[in-house]
Amino acid sequence: MARGPNNDIELTGPFRLIVVGATVGLLVITFLLWRIEGPRAEALRARITDHIAPALAWVSAPLTWVSDVTHDFQSYARLYEQNQQLREELRQMKAWKEAALQLEQKNARLLDLNKVRLDPKLTHLTGVVLADSGSPFRQSVLINAGARDGIRDGWAAMDGIGLVGRIAGVGEKTARVLLLTDLSSRVPVTLQPSGQKAILSGDNSALPPLDFVEDPSAVAAGDLVVSAGDGGIFPAGLVVGKVVLTEDKRLRVRLEADMARLEFLRVLRSHELDPIIGAGGLLAMPPIQGPPEPTAADLGPATAAKTEDKANP
Amino acid sequence: MIDPVTLTLWRGRLGFALLAAVLIFLALLPLGGEAGRLPGPDLLLCLLFAWMMRRPDYVPLWLVVLVFLAADILLQRPIGLWAALVVIAAEVLRARTVLMRELSFVMEWAVAAGLMLAMLVVYRTVFVLTMMPQVGLGSSLVQWLWQVVAYPAAVLFTGYMLALRKPSLGEIDAYGRRF
Repeated sequence: MARGPNNDIELTGPFRLIVVGATVGLLVITFLLWRIEGPRAEALRARITDHIAPALAWVSAPLTWVSDVTHDFQSYARLYEQNQQLREELRQMKAWKEAALQLEQKNARLLDLNKVRLDPKLTHLTGVVLADSGSPFRQSVLINAGARDGIRDGWAAMDGIGLVGRIAGVGEKTARVLLLTDLSSRVPVTLQPSGQKAILSGDNSALPPLDFVEDPSAVAAGDLVVSAGDGGIFPAGLVVGKVVLTEDKRLRVRLEADMARLEFLRVLRSHELDPIIGAGGLLAMPPIQGPPEPTAADLGPATAAKTEDKANP
Repeated sequence: MIDPVTLTLWRGRLGFALLAAVLIFLALLPLGGEAGRLPGPDLLLCLLFAWMMRRPDYVPLWLVVLVFLAADILLQRPIGLWAALVVIAAEVLRARTVLMRELSFVMEWAVAAGLMLAMLVVYRTVFVLTMMPQVGLGSSLVQWLWQVVAYPAAVLFTGYMLALRKPSLGEIDAYGRRF
């Protein structure tokens, strides 16, 4: 048989060893560069993911559809039970609907009286989940909105109810949301009745633990966990979940967001951060020239209206 | 004109690349996989070992590097580390092709399980050395166990669906030599 000009060289002996060694060496260097130059490597990764994202959408659409249909089909088995449950809920909802309508009218009147304008900076945009991380030890999802939609690193992402994670890695057309349950996720939170600060640190379990709680004895299971404004990236007060006390005596959080079925994510546009210039800027405010202007007086009615609106059932 | 032996060779390589692409896409689909679930097997690795034990000429070094580097990038793993370990494991197997052909299936299974465990240990050690956060040892071991269980399935798949077998006595390779 003729060998011909085959570009596939049969490697044997020491030469083969050198080639394999060089390959492994290159891969290890790649890894070290990734470890040292994290952000740049991740930007490269985001760009590559960006290119395959359209293909991903084509493949995932029919398969997710099939999976959803199977889910729905399984629920037929419990049709009667579900029906009863829904009727019960509907009865309760009717009462709530009345209350909501009344509140809505009242709220509209009050807003009109006060000429309140909602903060235009706190808007959101919604993205569809294209893919998850693909590895059981990484918790992140890919959404179909990216730099061209103005998404920036660090912004908060929510599903309809609670905080899900934050943007970590932005491509042109896609962005990656690092979920609260990921190993490298750390988010400052406030525990609500006690007002304590803590860090929600993901550990790849469904119930991420709370770290650095000042006084754990003041925290009870069932306390509300909301995001804290610390660090200036997340808006304060986004619902995260409820405190639970697990068997290993750790304070953990049951997330309010439905992490098993993330479909649409809402990305909150955050305020632009003022860059800190110089070492002193971090510690002290710039000295104020002259007396401060009186501003507190004309803010009074707006806050009063808000509290009253909450107090009414 | 392409001679049939080369054609089969390239068909085998293309087959591996396609299967790998399918596996990576399936892993990326947003179907569950939420935190706290027990991890499933790394099927790509099972597949590679099954092919490596049978027809190492279908998975040349460059294909291994390409596939596993792509997997590292797409599956959010540290770029290059797992690929390096896979290349080492693959080359260890390649260097023992003749021996592997003689082994019974149970021995082959044990070799695969041992290699996977060794890779896991090194992987975790590097994580510790470079101070990266990692999952508990338990989840990693569960994944390894799954992988060991999934290995025969990968072998059955390659053996029956793709008719990939260890070369029989007297079979010749693309260069017309005996295996």
